[in-house]
Amino acid sequence: MIWLTWRQFRVQAVTAAAALAAFAILLAATGPHLASLYATSKITSCHGFGCEPAANAFFGRLAGLDTVVYLLGIGLILVTPAIIGIFWGAPLIARELETRTFNLAWTQSITRTQWLAVKLALTGLVAMAVTEALSLIYAWWADPISNAISLGVGSPQLFSQGRFSAVIFATHGITPLGYAVFAFTLATAVGAVTRRILPAMAITLAIFAAVQLAMPLWIRPHLAPPSHTTAGIASADLAYGTLTADVVPGHPEAWILSSHALNSAGQPVTTIPAACNNPSADGQKGGTSPTTPAQCMQSRGYREAISYLPTSRYWPLQWIETGIFMALALALAWFSFWRLSRRRA
Amino acid sequence: MSAVIETSELGKRYRRKWALTDCTLSVPAGHVVGLVGPNGAGKTTLLNLAVGLLRPDAGTIKVLDGTPAAGQAQLARVGFLAQDAPVYAGLSVADHLKLGARLNPAWDVKLAYRRVDRLDLDHGQKAGALSGGQRAQLALTLAVAKRPDLLVLDEPVASLDPLARREFLQDLMEAVAEQELSVVLSSHLVADLERVCDYLIVLVGSRVRVAGPVDELLATHHLLSGPRRDPDTLPDGLDVISASHTDVQTTLLARTSGPVLDPAWTISEVGLEDLVLAYMSQAAGRRRRDNHHHLEVQK
Repeated sequence: MIWLTWRQFRVQAVTAAAALAAFAILLAATGPHLASLYATSKITSCHGFGCEPAANAFFGRLAGLDTVVYLLGIGLILVTPAIIGIFWGAPLIARELETRTFNLAWTQSITRTQWLAVKLALTGLVAMAVTEALSLIYAWWADPISNAISLGVGSPQLFSQGRFSAVIFATHGITPLGYAVFAFTLATAVGAVTRRILPAMAITLAIFAAVQLAMPLWIRPHLAPPSHTTAGIASADLAYGTLTADVVPGHPEAWILSSHALNSAGQPVTTIPAACNNPSADGQKGGTSPTTPAQCMQSRGYREAISYLPTSRYWPLQWIETGIFMALALALAWFSFWRLSRRRA
Repeated sequence: MSAVIETSELGKRYRRKWALTDCTLSVPAGHVVGLVGPNGAGKTTLLNLAVGLLRPDAGTIKVLDGTPAAGQAQLARVGFLAQDAPVYAGLSVADHLKLGARLNPAWDVKLAYRRVDRLDLDHGQKAGALSGGQRAQLALTLAVAKRPDLLVLDEPVASLDPLARREFLQDLMEAVAEQELSVVLSSHLVADLERVCDYLIVLVGSRVRVAGPVDELLATHHLLSGPRRDPDTLPDGLDVISASHTDVQTTLLARTSGPVLDPAWTISEVGLEDLVLAYMSQAAGRRRRDNHHHLEVQK
């Protein structure tokens, strides 16, 4: 059965290996240049407030190709699970049903359960290996950029995505493993139901895209217990015209789940007080200082309450999210077994 | 072991529609059994149940005294050739033989190679490029070389041209002669079965209409023709399967338990095809009458 699985899968496997190799060559060709840019930048010797300008200078020196590869890598790791699901998972059962070769496969001296177990295990392992390999070599390549981002918000918006940001979190660490095995088993199970490859591909794509969106937007924020802090409102680096914090003082890389302003009495406020709403006018009146709403509010005793995930929760969160996808994958695999054992011709 | 397939009140439903209902039959061992019936009689469903590709929704089925597809041992004992002989289009002939060797513990390498060479199949050729006849032969090779005790073939020659049809059936008979095999094959064409089967089961609407060794069926069924006569005044021992009347003559196809002595009748042999058709149309007629009766009752 291992032989048959390999024989039916080898074209896809070789294609995946070739694509992975091509990407690896691209990374190997551009990586040393990127690393030397980082090594010769001032980031390696910076302290405190000097680091942000150093990081920005580093970003400014990146070549156009570096930017392209940086984005390409993220895009590839995000779509690879979907591609694997569509081209490896969806046909796994559906093709046998569509071409009626199940008549051949399932009447050899091997039970249907064994047949599916070998197919799911081998193809699933390759799916996880390919995706994780992609993620690891990319993380090696992007390491200088990731380091620079952790030191300061990059002046090009492009390089402002920290480790907790939606796309970075899902493309680094072990989460790509979870996404890959989930997409693969999802497509297999859908194929067992639709019995046709094309609808299985379309449905898989729709569900997987929805999950990829829902996870960072609605699910991931609730997976780990948040920390809470209350800080001076100016240090929370409010985005202009809002009351939401951009930075957790003391935790530059933390993921802000929610934040709101408190007045001097400790009550939440939802709008910028009128007195601080027009800083230039305020400045003219007072003659001196307060120039931004935040500074104005700070001087009036306003504070910012923030709930956030510190970087110490990064790996627990990675494990939880990957665990969820592994569990979903197991459930979907079980469904495929169940579906196959009671299928109709 | 007297029966290779034994079913009791077997039923299979696709969603709400029953494809097979209340089917009780016994397929004897050591025969080449032809399963004939019109399209929709439930032949394919019955054979799929026998090889374990389907599970029954009612009743029971035993194949070689075991539950179909219950485990590797049971699967190894039954060879199956599905309708239209599906093979992997992207795999070569040699790949298919390797597939058979890897997935069947009792695989007969020599037999498989001998057959493929005799059929003049190119080992490197992709199965998708084979002709219909060659594909059927390749699929038969897979089913035979796993050395099953029972070989199940679903409409094996339906899609073949007459020449390929004859070659396939000849080839099948050689395989049966070489190995001690019980064979069940289905067809809606009696002519195909006549050449190879020594036992016949006529299945109409899930029901067995007649079953028995071919020579016995032929010996006990006759065509009687004579002057026109009221069907009620027929001699005893005649089981009329079909009757047709003209103004002056009556022709009967009947099963006879003993010699027909009435000199008014001209007795002639009946062919297998006519015999099977008579049973099929009898069943159809009976259904029509039943429906008619049903309507009258409703009035």
